[in-house]
Amino acid sequence: MKRVFAFLVLAATVAAACGGTNTAGTTGSPSASAAPSASAAPTPKPMQVGLVTDVGGLNDKSFNQAANTGRLNAEKDFGLKTSVIESKKQEDYVPNLTTFAQQNYDLVIAVGFLMQNAAWKVAKQFPNVKFAIIDGAPANDAGNTENLPNVANLFFKEQEAGYLVGVIAATMAKNKVGKATHNTVCSMGGIPIPPVDRYMAGYQDAIKTISPTTTILIGYSNDFVDQQKGKEVGLNHISKNCDILFQVAGGSGLGYIAAAKEKGVYAIGVDVDQIDVAPGTVITSAIKRVDKAVYDTSKAIKDGTFKAGDNSFNATNDGVGYGKLDAVVPADAKAAADKALADIKSGTIKPKTDLTVKP
Amino acid sequence: MTWEQLIGAGVLAAMLRLATPIALAALGGVIAERSGVVNIALEGCMLVGAFFGVVAADRTHSVVLALAVAMAAGAVLAGVHAVAAIHLRSDQIVSGMALNILALGLTSFLDYQFYGNTGTPADLAAVPDVEIAPLAAVPFIGDVIGHQNTIVWLTVVLVVLIQVFLFRTVPGLRLRAVGEHPRAAETVGIGVRRTRYWAVLASGLLAALGGAYLSLSVAHSFTDGMTGGRGFIGLAAMIFGRWTPIGALVASLVFGYGTALSFSLQGASIGDVRVPVQLLSTLPYVLTILAVAGFVGRSRPPASDGIPYETEGH
Repeated sequence: MKRVFAFLVLAATVAAACGGTNTAGTTGSPSASAAPSASAAPTPKPMQVGLVTDVGGLNDKSFNQAANTGRLNAEKDFGLKTSVIESKKQEDYVPNLTTFAQQNYDLVIAVGFLMQNAAWKVAKQFPNVKFAIIDGAPANDAGNTENLPNVANLFFKEQEAGYLVGVIAATMAKNKVGKATHNTVCSMGGIPIPPVDRYMAGYQDAIKTISPTTTILIGYSNDFVDQQKGKEVGLNHISKNCDILFQVAGGSGLGYIAAAKEKGVYAIGVDVDQIDVAPGTVITSAIKRVDKAVYDTSKAIKDGTFKAGDNSFNATNDGVGYGKLDAVVPADAKAAADKALADIKSGTIKPKTDLTVKP
Repeated sequence: MTWEQLIGAGVLAAMLRLATPIALAALGGVIAERSGVVNIALEGCMLVGAFFGVVAADRTHSVVLALAVAMAAGAVLAGVHAVAAIHLRSDQIVSGMALNILALGLTSFLDYQFYGNTGTPADLAAVPDVEIAPLAAVPFIGDVIGHQNTIVWLTVVLVVLIQVFLFRTVPGLRLRAVGEHPRAAETVGIGVRRTRYWAVLASGLLAALGGAYLSLSVAHSFTDGMTGGRGFIGLAAMIFGRWTPIGALVASLVFGYGTALSFSLQGASIGDVRVPVQLLSTLPYVLTILAVAGFVGRSRPPASDGIPYETEGH
């Protein structure tokens, strides 16, 4: 009888593992490297790219999803062999990164600022494997960043994307467009970390610049996964007359959008185009092309142009931008956003990176 | 810091919403442990409830069917735990933990299989709110309980029913006897294993209802790991509530209040010092520790809690 139970535990472990690796790439032929025949030209071994997601799952409609899209595109276009492992908790970061490094992957991508230290640890141990960190640089145990020769730091100018959606929100609040009648806009972050705060700093900067009379609220759900917490922050903001809600909290932010939908006000999505999350509620999204970062870095590995240290993705190289617009967004708001985009590219506008309104 | 931020109607309404899933998990814990089985798979039961509730709502467009499927999924997972814990007499913590891991892996795997890169659909059938017309107009009280979700009210009803069942009915007495002294219960003809099976299945149903509340009443979607440890917090609420339904509800309310405060107090200041957000997020846990240390006193589990029962002569 005990044996039956042991089997049960085994089955559970296998199923859990399947949850993490079910999407292993199929493009590259795994046997390609084994004993090429003398007559034919040797088939080159496909490059291997491994992606380790942050917690929240592959279809978080946000960060992890964008990274995975970039991986799938790179696999399709460059004939790479790619795999993904989902982290279920923060303690998974190091083992997951190590799994790929041990198998001699050509590139291991860590998705997220929170993996800085884990990536530092593993990259030190495997100096011959190339790593990339989305939103971060390797950080030692004391928490200080330390550039490593085999790690690319993929940074985004989130403040530029935040500024663009801030322009749209400010224009709508100022002109009292549609349901935005209270001249109050707000935003919610997940955890106060630099990439999250940069988004909201740019957003606030645009609002202060374009519509100084508009009230700005800010909050945090203290979570990137929990939707109920995000929704409660949203309901709290809406009770304070906020009618445009910008979420910067991954999965938790979907709860913030759910609050806007329930109360019939507007929301702004983040990272990927979230207009389909709640049509009619989400008016646009602040886009950060995590997919492009993954895609470009995979391409660099293939072409041998991998660059360790800081790599910037910004408005100028189409690394950030704003998403599709809902029909309620007036033409002048779009025109203002497009002008701001041009000004950011030309360097006339430099969005702030520090929060003006703090919680 | 204002009274509005501390005990305003908005805070109290949020407290009820945040306490509901925890209270449902805690109720499940009370029933299972009163019968003598520790079920730490409550978290997993919530998660499968949340997920399969969304799948059923998507396929059938019926809230009633969705809730039924969610609760059935929770009961199936709890059933596996029951077989392991009661029939196979295995370590209940190990079995529960394994099932939690299974639930997390299974739901994220199936989520990706069913909904791919796009996530669950935006137009899911939702559990409706109950509007109590005469109350909704009353200031303050109307804002607190005038527009709560059906499952919030259902939870209150379940707490009362289960409290009465456990402490005022014969089957409830038998269930508690099985958890305190199974040998004595068996000698008077009570089926120990059968009682425990029913109790564990019921705990799965209740926890899964809590999970379905999160996905079908609050979020209107499913995301990986969305239960966020509420099953474990439910177990804490059960202990804090001394293994009684009403105690567990009170404990859940304390936890819900702490969480609600951690949002309403954002931006508040004491004197000239702003309260840091990170510190506020510890409030639910600090309040719980204070409550446990200060008011609960000694809390005693059922005497045979977690001990597998072996029938005489086997």
